[in-house]
Amino acid sequence: MDPKALAALGELLGDRLRTSLETRICYSYDATGKRFLPDAVAHPVDAEEVRRIVLLANQHRFPVVPRGAGSGFSGGSLPVHGGVVLSTERMDRIVAIDTENLYAVVEPGVVTETLKEEARRRGLFYPPDPASLKFSTIGGNIAECSGGMCAVKYGVTRDYVLGLEAVLGTGELVRTGVATVKGVVGYDLTRMLVGSEGTLGIVTRATLRLVPLPETAATMLALFSGNREAARAVNAVVAARVTPSAMELMDRTAIDCVLAVVPIPLPEGTGSALLLEVDGPAPSVARDAERLAEVCRSCGAIEVRVASDARGREELWKMRRSISPGLRRLAPVKMNEDIVVPRSRLADMFDFLAGLSARKRVRIVNFGHAGDGNIHVNVMTSGTDADETRRAEEAVEEVFRKTVEVGGTISGEHGIGIAKAPFLEMEVGPLGVSVMKRLKECFDPNGILNPGKIFLSEAAVRP
Amino acid sequence: MKDETLAALTGLCAKCGTCRTVCTLYPERKAEIAVARGKVALLEAAMNGEDPDADSVQEALTDCLLCGRCERACPNQVLVEEIVMKGRADLAEEVGIPAWKSILFGKVMASPGATAAARKAAAAGERLLLPKVPTGSGLHYRFPEGLGGKGRTVPELPARGFLESLGRKEAASGEVMLFVGCVFDHVFPQVGRAAYETVKASGKSVAVFRDAACCGLPAMVSGDRRSAMACAEGNLRRLRSAEPATIVFPCGSCLLMFRRNLLSLVPQGVPLHEDALWVADRSTDYASFLLASGVVGRLPDPPAGEKAGEIGYHDPCHLSGTLGKGPEAREVLRRAAGDAFAEMEGADRCCGYGGTFNVRDYRTSARIGEGKVSLAARGGTKVISTACSGCVLQMRDMAARVDPSLRVVHIAELVAQALARGEGTAPRR
Ligand SMILES: Cc1cc2nc3c(=O)[nH]c(=O)nc-3n(C[C@H](O)[C@H](O)[C@H](O)COP(=O)(O)OP(=O)(O)OC[C@H]3O[C@@H](n4cnc5c(N)ncnc54)[C@H](O)[C@@H]3O)c2cc1C
Ligand code: SF4
Ligand code: SF4
Repeated sequence: MDPKALAALGELLGDRLRTSLETRICYSYDATGKRFLPDAVAHPVDAEEVRRIVLLANQHRFPVVPRGAGSGFSGGSLPVHGGVVLSTERMDRIVAIDTENLYAVVEPGVVTETLKEEARRRGLFYPPDPASLKFSTIGGNIAECSGGMCAVKYGVTRDYVLGLEAVLGTGELVRTGVATVKGVVGYDLTRMLVGSEGTLGIVTRATLRLVPLPETAATMLALFSGNREAARAVNAVVAARVTPSAMELMDRTAIDCVLAVVPIPLPEGTGSALLLEVDGPAPSVARDAERLAEVCRSCGAIEVRVASDARGREELWKMRRSISPGLRRLAPVKMNEDIVVPRSRLADMFDFLAGLSARKRVRIVNFGHAGDGNIHVNVMTSGTDADETRRAEEAVEEVFRKTVEVGGTISGEHGIGIAKAPFLEMEVGPLGVSVMKRLKECFDPNGILNPGKIFLSEAAVRP
Repeated sequence: MKDETLAALTGLCAKCGTCRTVCTLYPERKAEIAVARGKVALLEAAMNGEDPDADSVQEALTDCLLCGRCERACPNQVLVEEIVMKGRADLAEEVGIPAWKSILFGKVMASPGATAAARKAAAAGERLLLPKVPTGSGLHYRFPEGLGGKGRTVPELPARGFLESLGRKEAASGEVMLFVGCVFDHVFPQVGRAAYETVKASGKSVAVFRDAACCGLPAMVSGDRRSAMACAEGNLRRLRSAEPATIVFPCGSCLLMFRRNLLSLVPQGVPLHEDALWVADRSTDYASFLLASGVVGRLPDPPAGEKAGEIGYHDPCHLSGTLGKGPEAREVLRRAAGDAFAEMEGADRCCGYGGTFNVRDYRTSARIGEGKVSLAARGGTKVISTACSGCVLQMRDMAARVDPSLRVVHIAELVAQALARGEGTAPRR
């Protein structure tokens, strides 16, 4: 990077600009495990500083890569073309929680769980619940449109963003959206920014919708002989007009993976498991839990376990939570995909994955948010066998093709970043890509913001 | 820098970021370099020849309380404490360790009696070292002049340490060995005394480990392998020849050294390994010993009522966290103090001491500590009890800043009180 640019940044930020190799190393990775060294790391404290950083970037033509907690699974926060990593760690205030109008105003560096907890204390609920909620930031959640287990009932991050304040690639500060329940004034720029992976604007403040905190919840674990039965139950649950607040499916590969970590007694012949949760007022929770248990049984569940107290519920959740630690024990490298298929095609997809695993001779572990058709497909490899890695890559590509073919999408919640950039066109087509690029042009004409993401082979910042 | 064992340990890190949620230091620093993931990445870069500045990497590794929270939260079983200690030691070989540390660890700590001499010098006001001394889990910490911040409250050093108060032939041999530790010998001899009397109440013969060197933990966590080895050799040799059935540790950090860290200092294949295993097997925390030996069962019924909820228990990171010995101390307290004991707010929050950390960055250490102690005080706790020397030192200092009426004691002192109460009444049948 141009030393003049660094000097100007240093003048602006003082010791909140770091250029030492040690600090740069600490901002060179995210949860993909890939690494790219930035030239500098900036820790702005407010929108004005963010704006001035981006203005300098336009003047000196260096990339600016926003970064929350660096927990992304698609490489969104990696500085693939160097430049400045802009960390939101010091912009972590909850500005306001309005208990009358039910919204919160937060800075982007607020950790998801912190907001959830503050809302909870006031009897309110901020539903989005990515499994990373204890460390991921609201800015990252918005940029990736993160989802979680409760998406089946409550939706994803997008459904809670009422309005945003953001610095565009031009250095202009825009305010989008509303602080009210409705609003149709012009184009929906808020939704445009949600899920844009830091390529259109840097979110500096967000107004987020809150809802009343559900009174109580009950959890069920239903065990089936196979995925067909479990997938049938998923559809039957939906048809029964009860909306669970979580509906997680674990296939045999995931169950094996759990059993490698915790010994959970399961009946003979368990080939698939559904974890369901219902929430709401106590009487309706009890009724819904009973109804769902009945539905599962009628779909051939071998066994249904129900828990309504905290301890018992945690015991059932343990199975789901043990998958991730188990994965690493199976094999050191995982290609972690999060496809979504129409719910009615879930069973077909699981069959396809089993066949694919056999055909490509790679271990594939599947589980996911079955309620919204989201399957986490983990292709496991040793990372040291080149042939195996090649077969795994082929398998991933086939998964994507199949997904698009059945009318699904190649990323439910992790985003495109660099990991899925090669497959963008496969899903949205050349025109789709072209429209997106034109939009990018309009928000960020000089290609300052997070270059090299979403679109394949995009050049670095324009000269 | 090359170290295959270290590379294998860091290789497990998936860079998921989970450790950010629990790191004691992260809220203070708000920078990735503070958390385990950053430290692991730095070491990996150093080992891959990316050539980060060794001093700066050492600095980053030193900026850690070794509280172990990250390690316990890590979904991938990354042994962060081990990594940080190993990294510090490897780098120490490259860039050396700070001079003040090497002098103290090498000369003072490994030789029995040397700490006593140093303490006397300090107590006599010889301005050889910091005049008003203590703030560490071995006496050495308090000496390097001018280290740390100002405004620290340090205990007056008593004229006589606990070991010196014993008769020459007293507690010379026995089936139970009490490892008092530097701080509970020299700085808070009343704790050494209380631990001794209450362990003796088991009816077993009790020896006090007199010619102990420092447990070696401070040297080891500072990356000074040689001094740590010198401490270990002496201790292992003497313990082995004394052949106790059980070794009791009133200090959680000393116990951690003997139960776990020694085994990585002298790994399999090294001659001392067998001895280290032998000692580890016999080493136990104070509360567990009191429960197992029946002392607790024989305590008089605690007085009911008037001081309900006044006494809290602080979980030392090493003892409750790393070694998983949290319930035992509580069981002891319930018997010794009855309903005066109650869970205190934020019991398992790190006190911010971190041994060398406190010396190196007193201001941060104090901010973390004040936060901890004020939380307890606001929740109505009047006496904070605990079972680790570093925690006692730190929280006494913090209590003096936050609320001087707050008392900080070792659980042995409360057990000793309870025992005394029993002796005052008619003997129980
Ligand atoms: C163990 C684990 C579990 C996970 N579980 C889930 C899950 O269940 N569901 C799910 O959806 N995801 C999950 N994720 C992925 C990840 O946590 C989410 O994508 C999360 O939203 C990323 O947040 P972050 O703060 O870490 O953002 P980062 O990784 O730092 O950044 C992500 C993207 O957001 C951009 N960005 C960050 N801040 C801003 C800002 N202020 N303005 C504009 N752009 C910004 C970055 O440039 C980047 O493109 C998981 C990750 C891990 C490690
Ligand atoms: S929690 Fe463990 S695996 Fe995850 S980043 Fe921290 S040290 Fe690495
Ligand atoms: S040991 Fe404690 S202070 Fe050190 S990195 Fe881990 S959590 Fe942070």
